[in-house]
Amino acid sequence: MATVNIKINGKPIQARPGITVLDAAKEAGIDIPTLCHHPALANIGACRLCLVEVAKQRTLQPACTFPISEGMEVETESPKAVEARKFVLEMLFSERNHYCMYCEMSGDCELQAMAYRYGLDHWTYPTPFPKMPVDGTRKYFIMDHNRCILCRRCIRACSDLVANHTLGVRFRGAKTMISADMDAPFGESSCVSCGTCLQVCPTGALIDRKSAYMGREVHVEHTASACTFCSVGCGTSIVTRAGRVLRVEGDWDAPNQGVLCVAGRFEPLYDTRERLTSPMLRKGNALVPITWDEALDVLVARAKGNNGKKTAAYATSNALNDALGAFLTVFQGKVHATVGVLEPTLEELDLPAGGTLADLDAADCILVAGGDPLADHRVLGYRIKRALDKGARLLVVADGANGMLPFAHRKFPMAELAEAVKICQGSVAPVVIYGSQLDRADARKLATLTGKARFIPLFPGVNGYRARELGLKDGLRANGAKVLYLLLGDKELPEDAVKEARRAAFLVVHAAYKSAAAETADLVLPAPLWYEQEGTFTALDGRKAVVRPAVPKPADVLTEAEVLARLAERL
Amino acid sequence: MAKVKVATDWLAACAGCHMSVLDMDERLVQLLDKIELTSTPITDLKHPPKEGVTVGILTGAISNTTNIEVAKQMRERCQILIALGDCAVFGGIVTMRNFFDMNEALKRAYVETESTVDGKIPCSEELGTPVRVCAVNQVVKVDIHIPGCPPSPDAIYYALSELLEGRIPVLTGDNLKYD
Repeated sequence: MATVNIKINGKPIQARPGITVLDAAKEAGIDIPTLCHHPALANIGACRLCLVEVAKQRTLQPACTFPISEGMEVETESPKAVEARKFVLEMLFSERNHYCMYCEMSGDCELQAMAYRYGLDHWTYPTPFPKMPVDGTRKYFIMDHNRCILCRRCIRACSDLVANHTLGVRFRGAKTMISADMDAPFGESSCVSCGTCLQVCPTGALIDRKSAYMGREVHVEHTASACTFCSVGCGTSIVTRAGRVLRVEGDWDAPNQGVLCVAGRFEPLYDTRERLTSPMLRKGNALVPITWDEALDVLVARAKGNNGKKTAAYATSNALNDALGAFLTVFQGKVHATVGVLEPTLEELDLPAGGTLADLDAADCILVAGGDPLADHRVLGYRIKRALDKGARLLVVADGANGMLPFAHRKFPMAELAEAVKICQGSVAPVVIYGSQLDRADARKLATLTGKARFIPLFPGVNGYRARELGLKDGLRANGAKVLYLLLGDKELPEDAVKEARRAAFLVVHAAYKSAAAETADLVLPAPLWYEQEGTFTALDGRKAVVRPAVPKPADVLTEAEVLARLAERL
Repeated sequence: MAKVKVATDWLAACAGCHMSVLDMDERLVQLLDKIELTSTPITDLKHPPKEGVTVGILTGAISNTTNIEVAKQMRERCQILIALGDCAVFGGIVTMRNFFDMNEALKRAYVETESTVDGKIPCSEELGTPVRVCAVNQVVKVDIHIPGCPPSPDAIYYALSELLEGRIPVLTGDNLKYD
C-alpha cells in the first residue's frame, strides 16, 4: 500500500494516505490535544484546540480535519501553536460558567485537563456572565448550558450514532445554544433518553442525576459486561464504587459502538422492587427463611416423591447459558419433568438467524416484520435508523402501532407481507428483522428470502437465541402438575401467569425480587441481579455476550447455575 | 540578611485560602525565618505598612468598592502581587451573584434567608457599594496567580519558596488546581 511521508515535530512518519494529521500523529505516538474530537464521532474542527503549525500553510490548521500530504511538515507544540491553544482555552473558560469548584465534573473534565496541561493559571479576558438555562426536564440526566463549550459532541452522537436527530444548535456566535427539536424542553422533545450524549460530553454540561457527585474516575471501578435487558446484547461498562452501581456506560468496542438505550443505561438503576435475600418455605400463611440445604432437600423430596410427569419447570429465556443448561440437566435429564420457557423463542417460525448490527450498516433494504425494535430492541432500532440515513430503504409490515412506522418508506399490513418480500428480492443487500407477531404462514413467505437476505430475530427473551437452540418451547401450563418450578430471574410474571402457576400443588419460585409470584409460592429461592451475575448469554446475532459481576451478591444468594447444580447432585 | 516583608489581606473571601496558608504547618515556621508577615487579616495589624512590602497576597474576589480600595492600596504598597485562590484569580464562587440582579441577590441574602427574622438590607454610608464581581486582575495588575479552592498548602509553599530564591513560580502538576 502506498504511504505518505510526513514529519511531525521533526520525526519522519510514514502514514496511510487520506488520514488526518491527528490520526497520523496518534499512530506515531504523538499526542495532540483535542476537545471536540471523539474517537467514535466524525471530526468537525469546532473547538480549535488541536491547531498545529503546518509548513507552507498561511495559518494554523486543525489537526483533526486536516489531511496529510506528501512532504508535509507539522509542528504540534511550536510557540505559535501553544499560544493559540492557550488563547482558545482562555476564550472557552471566560465565555460561560466554568468555575470548577462547584462543578460535578471537576477532576474528570476534559476542558479542565487541557487547561492544566497548558498551565492556564488565570484568564485575561473579562467574563460576560451570561445567564444560561439549566434544563432538568428529563428524568435521568440534566443539561446545564452554563457548562457547555459547544463542541457539538452531543449533536453528533445524537445524529451519527443514534440517528435520532433531536439535537442541534440555535442562534449564532456567543449566543449559540444546544437545543432539542429547534426549541423544546429536552423532556418534551423527541429525545429517547438513550444517554449517548451524556457519555460523550467532555464537561459538566450533561450530568447524570443518579451518579452526580458520587465519585470521580479515580474513585470508581469499571466492569466490562453485557446488558441483560434485551437480546441485542450491548457491551457495557458497569461503573461502581464501594459495592454500589453508580451508572452504566456503553462499550465503544462492542457491536453497539457505545450506544445503549434508556432500558439498559438508566431504568435498571431505578428499580425499586424489594430483593429476595434468602430461601423461604411456606409454613402456614407465612414464608419462613430456611437454609439452602433445607430448601434444596424440600425441593428434592417433592420432585422425587412425584412421577416426573407431574412435575413441570419453566425458565425465563432471560436466564444465562449455564443456568439454562443446568435447568435442563435437572428438570429434563433427572426429573423428567415437562420443561419450557416463559417467552416465545421464535422456534416454530423456522427462519434463519445470524444477522448482525454490522449487516444493517451495509443494507440497502430493511424489512421489519412482526416486531417493533424501537419498543424492545432499541439499539437495533437506532442502528436501522442509521442505515436509513445512509440511504437504505425501510419496509415495515405491521398491523397496528409500530415505532418504526414513521421512518418507513413503505408500510404494509401483515396480509401484504408477500409484497414487501418481493421488494426485498429486488434489492442488493436486504436485511430481514422478524419478531414474535409472525405466524408460520407469514414465516414461510419470509423464508423465500433465505440465502438472499440476512435475518435478525427479535427474541422476546434476552437469551432467546440459546433457548431456541435448546429447542425449548414457550407457554406456561401448570394443570395437573404437583410441583411447578419457575426460574424468573428479575422477571415479573403477569397476573394471569401467576394464577396459572398457582394451580400447581407445590409452587417453587426462583427469583431476584419479591413479587406476586414469590408471595404465593410454597418455596422461594433467591437469585442474583444483572450486576451480580457471571456467565454468558447468546445474543440475537449468535454472539456470546459475557456478563461479569460488578458488585458482590448478598451473602445468602447463590448463582442460578450453582443452585441448579446443587440440586442435580441431590437427585 | 533582612527578612523579606510579606503582607496579606482578603477581599470577598471565605477565609479558606488563609486557612490553607496556616495549613503549611511547620513549614510556615521555617518560612518565618526568612520572611516577616507585616500584616494579615488574622493578626493585629491589618493594613500593609506605608513603607511597603516586597510581596502582597490577596485572597477573595472584588465584590464592592471597599475591595477595590483594599486591592489598590495593596498594589501600591507591594512590589509583587499574588492573587491567591480561585476567587482572587477568576472571581470564583462569589461570581454566582453576577447571574442575578443586585437587589434580588441582596434581598435573598439579608431578608429571605430561611434563618432571618425581620431582615433588612444594610444601607449605611460607611459600607462599600456592591459592584459586579470580578477577579483581582480586572482591577489592578497581578504578577502571580495561584488558583485553587483553596490552593494547596504545597502550592503556596512552592510559590513563596521560589520567590525567596529569586524565581517567578510556575505552577505545574498537583500545584495547579481549580478545585
